[in-house]
Amino acid sequence: MNEQPEQRSRRLEQALQACIQGRAEGIDAILEIEGPQLLGVARRILGRHDLAEEALQDAMVQVWRKCGQQHGAEGSARGWIYAVLKNRCLTILRDGRRLASLSPEELTRMQDARQDLVPDEGWQLLAGRGRLGECLDALDDPSRRAILLAHVAGYSHGEISARQGVPLGTAKSWIRRGLAALRECLS
Amino acid sequence: MTGFQDDLLGYADDYVLGLMTAAEAELFEALVARDPALGAHVARMRDRLLPLDLSAPAAPLPADFADRLRARLAEVPQDTAVPARVAAPAAANLPAPPAWRRLASTAAALVLGLALGLGGAMTRPEPEPQVVAVLLDDQGLPRAVIEDYGNERAQIRFVADVEVPPGRSIQAWTLPSAELGPTSLGVLDGPRPARLGGPDLPAPADAQLYEITLEPEGGSPTGRPTGPIIAKGLAAAQGT
Repeated sequence: MNEQPEQRSRRLEQALQACIQGRAEGIDAILEIEGPQLLGVARRILGRHDLAEEALQDAMVQVWRKCGQQHGAEGSARGWIYAVLKNRCLTILRDGRRLASLSPEELTRMQDARQDLVPDEGWQLLAGRGRLGECLDALDDPSRRAILLAHVAGYSHGEISARQGVPLGTAKSWIRRGLAALRECLS
Repeated sequence: MTGFQDDLLGYADDYVLGLMTAAEAELFEALVARDPALGAHVARMRDRLLPLDLSAPAAPLPADFADRLRARLAEVPQDTAVPARVAAPAAANLPAPPAWRRLASTAAALVLGLALGLGGAMTRPEPEPQVVAVLLDDQGLPRAVIEDYGNERAQIRFVADVEVPPGRSIQAWTLPSAELGPTSLGVLDGPRPARLGGPDLPAPADAQLYEITLEPEGGSPTGRPTGPIIAKGLAAAQGT
């Protein structure tokens, strides 16, 4: 169980290679290596286990279909797989029809839970230990909060501006400014 | 930094953070598929932000999860139409602005030649358009060409069949800037050459995004693209 992170990354790269070669065992291997963590991310954004499972199923179908694009591409297999999953979660989150089957109470609970994902105090837990946390810490509060709301809770520009009580343009420029500073700090 | 590179990095940031609408994200992915340097930038940014995802508490998969997925995969063919990739530059840093520009406009120019060749007899009006955007479908095939003359004048012509179901309209859009967001250039009667008249917009720029979507009859009710994207592309600046 206590596998080294590098070893886990390498196995994930191999699993994606297997998918690229058209071998569906690669998908099994991805689930075995990364499945619970992927489901956890979907669960955190979507707040509901059924939606999270649906998102992960759909995302893995996308990974299977589109893995050819990743042949020789830069970046880690893990980064790409999480990006595919996050996109799928956002599609569900922003699809009014998909969420119409939920009761108003369920929807409210879901939105409230997302609100609490990015606390003002203790946000450091989200970034873990490492350079990213240090660089986020160096940002001004509004920029950091906006970036975390977008990345961790799946907030749109509009939702960020509403939550922070500022015009849309202000929210956008916080994010732009924050990410430029983050890029500089991380490189 | 050039404005061009700034814009691209800005789009990449929005993309990685999940701040684009589905239509914008698709448009951006088409660009990434043709620009390895941009793709490398996106991948790097993604990897850097990954710790934020790894902090979510893991959740065990249900016992039948893998089997259900396998059953679905058996029905899904893998995409084979992988866009030809230029070898990514070895440099770990961002390439200098000219490389960004060259990569994006070379790809645009390649398809442009193809599309214009298919385009046929329409005579080119004077003056010359400021930008030309070739709109590609999800297979990478040219469907339409938009020529934007600035001054709220643009025209579209179709270079391949576009099927419009009854009760739907084609609508043309552009993304003049992230601030302005997707802006309608007009609703079309059908896949026929047409003059487009957008609102008062900044002069069209190199690498500006254009797309056509399928919308409810009479156009999008929200003022933003809502329907499936028929084709999309980036403008290439004309002349000097």
